Amino acid sequence: MSDAIAIKRFIVAEFAPDARPEDIDDDYDLLANGVIDSLGLLRVVDWLSQRFDVAVDDVEISEDQFVSVAAMCRFVEQYATGRPVVAAQAQRGE
Amino acid sequence: MADSRSLVDCLAEHAWRRPDSVALVAGERRVTYRELAGMAAAARRRIARLGLHVDSAVGIHAAKTPETIALLTACLLAGRRFLVPSTELGTHTLGTLFERAGCVAVLSATPLERHVHEGWPPVTVVNCAAEDQVAQVVPGSRRGVSFMLTTSGSTGVPKIVPLGMSEVDRFTDWAVDRFGIEPGTRVLNYAPLNFDLCLLDVWATLKAGGTVVLVAPEKATNGRYLSDLLHEHEIELVQSVPMFFRLVADAADGDFPAVRQVILTGDAMPARLLPALPRLFPNARVTNVYGCTETNDSFLYDLPAHIDEDTALPIGRPLPGVDVLLVDGDGVVHDGPATGELLVHTPFQTEGYLGGPGQTEKFVRHQGIRYFRTGDLVSRDAGGTYTLMGRNDFQVKVRGTRVNLQEIEHVLLDHGRVLEAAVVGLPDELAGLRVHAVIRCDEPVSSLALREHCRLRLPRVAIPSAIHVVDSPLPTTSTGKVDRRAISSMLAHTGVKA
Repeated sequence: MSDAIAIKRFIVAEFAPDARPEDIDDDYDLLANGVIDSLGLLRVVDWLSQRFDVAVDDVEISEDQFVSVAAMCRFVEQYATGRPVVAAQAQRGE
Repeated sequence: MADSRSLVDCLAEHAWRRPDSVALVAGERRVTYRELAGMAAAARRRIARLGLHVDSAVGIHAAKTPETIALLTACLLAGRRFLVPSTELGTHTLGTLFERAGCVAVLSATPLERHVHEGWPPVTVVNCAAEDQVAQVVPGSRRGVSFMLTTSGSTGVPKIVPLGMSEVDRFTDWAVDRFGIEPGTRVLNYAPLNFDLCLLDVWATLKAGGTVVLVAPEKATNGRYLSDLLHEHEIELVQSVPMFFRLVADAADGDFPAVRQVILTGDAMPARLLPALPRLFPNARVTNVYGCTETNDSFLYDLPAHIDEDTALPIGRPLPGVDVLLVDGDGVVHDGPATGELLVHTPFQTEGYLGGPGQTEKFVRHQGIRYFRTGDLVSRDAGGTYTLMGRNDFQVKVRGTRVNLQEIEHVLLDHGRVLEAAVVGLPDELAGLRVHAVIRCDEPVSSLALREHCRLRLPRVAIPSAIHVVDSPLPTTSTGKVDRRAISSMLAHTGVKA
């Protein structure tokens, strides 16, 4: 599963239960449109860091990195260190 | 009241007398009074080069940075009026506000990224880097309007609240004296720079020569970060909405002995959070402060050592110089113990809203004094202590910002596909209150599209946290109106998550 699809599935499950993952454009502004509020942002960062094994404590993070699915993908590209973890989770059917 | 000291004179004096003391802390950055004065002087010169008419207003895009504070200081020094709206408002709404305030330009200390500024006055990025080491800070006029804040309501376009320089000077004087802010006092600033709360935690602190520690907005809900800030900077004074204390209480390992003054404001404090305060802040006086943008602070209540969790926290008594009326539903003014709408007059209040409606119904004269109708229902006991009972209309508070549920419904109903809409506020474990919308449409519409529709018309806090699209008609009351109570209990029972 691509990073973008995994992220969209997570967003739909957590924040937009009526939508379908494919409804979310990669550039849809999740923050300005209120899909993810500041408290939700913590859950997003937490999930991304676990799913993609990012040591968030070592990374300088800002809101802009999570503004859209495309931005989150760039964040993952840049900081994910543990790609095998992702693969293992994917095999378990997540 | 004695003659108030001028905020800009005080800033100039600190830059001269204690140039190396720290004015602002932002992350790893320390900005001294000399640097702040240098930045403000440079920004003032650069604004002057724009050739704007001396009496014309400017809009400020208030990203929370030392540069923005320098930019605001530059406007104060030049005696130029400036509108500081929330950066979270929709593009259209901001355009309307800039127009109503007569802004000939929008100034920003940082480039405006991913912001559509269609319909705005020309946007200029003002470089706030100091030009030289020696800051020439020459204050300009003290008369006339300075800050123009906006009401925090989601009721259509927010109202513009102009504050005279002398009202700001009087308020900051009061705050400095009441809370004992001195040179070097370390004060946490939690609120965004467009909030009236900043008149206390940013501007009164700078007036006193203290140090303002800025909370980074993107980490403002991270309790661990907030409690680290309190520790690391040995914060002495903290003013915030209840959510801050909730986040800190959940994240903190120990206590914060350096804090000597806690100010609760902006919202009703959840009773079960009160016992945590003496534990977290063993050396602090805890004060509940009541105010609104139009009047600034008007009541305060110092909490006793032992707090009874079963009774509502009073807002206390009026500040010195504040006049109060309690008016019941029939328009009768009451003395002694009574419950009614609170009307206040303060030494810090606005002359009235600018360039918009709402003037006559919100500001009323009684025996020669101009009062502001707060819309809040309060009760006064025999001892003269006041307690907030709530609001009897559709206003709710979401993280310190007043939101009108009915207005959100109206915005949703403006969408061509929406047949019925109900908007309710539901208690939330962490956020305090979250806005939920239930919608019925004639054709399938995704909540993502409805959010786009809301974003252009509402401030961010008013965009519903959850939008539930349903197929069946919404429950109605006997008078045919949408039954919010039934909808609230339906949502509460299905255990929806925001």
